[in-house]
Amino acid sequence: MPTNLVINGEDRISTRGSMTPLIDVLRDEFFLTGAKVACREGICGACTVHLDGRPVVSCLVPLATVEGRDVRTVESLAAAGEPSPLQQIMEEHDVVQCGMCFPGILMVLTSFFQERPHAERDDIKAALVGNICRCTGYERLVDAAAALARRS
Amino acid sequence: MPASTGERLYVATSLADAVAALADRGPAGAPLAGATWIMRAPIRREELRSSYVGIGGIAELRSVEMTDDEIHIGACVTHADLIAALAGVEGCDGLVAAAGGAANPAVRQMATVGGNLCTSDFPASDLSPALLCLDASVELRTPSGQERVPLGRLLDIRRTLEPGTLVTGVVIARKPVQTGHSRLPLRKAGDYPVAIVSMAVALGSDGLIEDIKVAVGSVEASARRWPQLEAQLLGHPLDPAKAYELAKAGVGVFAGRESVEAPGWYRVQVLPTLVRRAAQAALAARQQR
Repeated sequence: MPTNLVINGEDRISTRGSMTPLIDVLRDEFFLTGAKVACREGICGACTVHLDGRPVVSCLVPLATVEGRDVRTVESLAAAGEPSPLQQIMEEHDVVQCGMCFPGILMVLTSFFQERPHAERDDIKAALVGNICRCTGYERLVDAAAALARRS
Repeated sequence: MPASTGERLYVATSLADAVAALADRGPAGAPLAGATWIMRAPIRREELRSSYVGIGGIAELRSVEMTDDEIHIGACVTHADLIAALAGVEGCDGLVAAAGGAANPAVRQMATVGGNLCTSDFPASDLSPALLCLDASVELRTPSGQERVPLGRLLDIRRTLEPGTLVTGVVIARKPVQTGHSRLPLRKAGDYPVAIVSMAVALGSDGLIEDIKVAVGSVEASARRWPQLEAQLLGHPLDPAKAYELAKAGVGVFAGRESVEAPGWYRVQVLPTLVRRAAQAALAARQQR
């Protein structure tokens, strides 16, 4: 049975099976390859997207449960062509390394800063416990996020 | 929707629809709420079932309701929603800490209370010991009716529930207790705790313990209370150091499970320290009131 969903503001229909992980639908059917496939068990956070405004690990979301819901991927952050303030500050701090974890981290922090725009450094680190960076580039990443919190 | 349509995951639209769909599927079917355990079946080299009934979107299973007497938590309330609903509520500090320490933030947005309690192959549930020491009851719905059973009973029978049985909620009686929750993971996130201790304690005006519940998780296959320790602590002041000593002398009642993450003896050996920390947390919760 086809599944209707709204991805980055656009109505889409997926024909994949009902238990297909959302990450596979995003990447293989709609070619939104920002979210990455890594652990497939909800540990690394590389596949994080927003579902109805909340960050979730899309490797553990069965497609049928997304019927009619709002999905936002990392591609939506610069939808108007301009990087978001979070993306800009990450660039300023030269944070990106291999890029595997980075889309998930952006999605987690985007959501986090909506609720905690003035967060302290320790809060930022706590928010990122579910995002594993295989390059171990955490320090600059947290530096950049803390700088954004100070600007807010 | 009947199982004969062949769709592996049917998303139920109401509680009645879910109960009927589960009954129709019989032993081949199972409820699916947050999906965070079921979707990892391939990682565990397990086969998915042939049929699931999605219940995570059913509104009546997603609310937390509080009266003067009790707190009702819908089975599909997520860990994140539980934290938001119960933060600052007297007696719930331990439960909030349990929900807030489990897994990682994104998984906490998905994983549900009911799923955490019903996943019989998951020994490291944080909510089970936290709710056990709150004397929680669980509501069950079947095609023929509904009943309420103590959580400890559910943990005993959850592998053999009749097909079509659905956990719809958890009920906690509101009491003037202070609670603490202590867990020992090996990393900040991404692994299961080696051991968990939850404590709920009622102190009299003289500072002596009038009622106490201690529950242990992750050490054995299923969480359970520690009645011997409770009996020894009852009637005395809540002294974390004394609780540590009593726990150290009495840990022999637990048989730690072996796994790749930690040997059984280690799970048992850390319990006294977790008891001390849980007692400290309960005292800290009391001081904040």
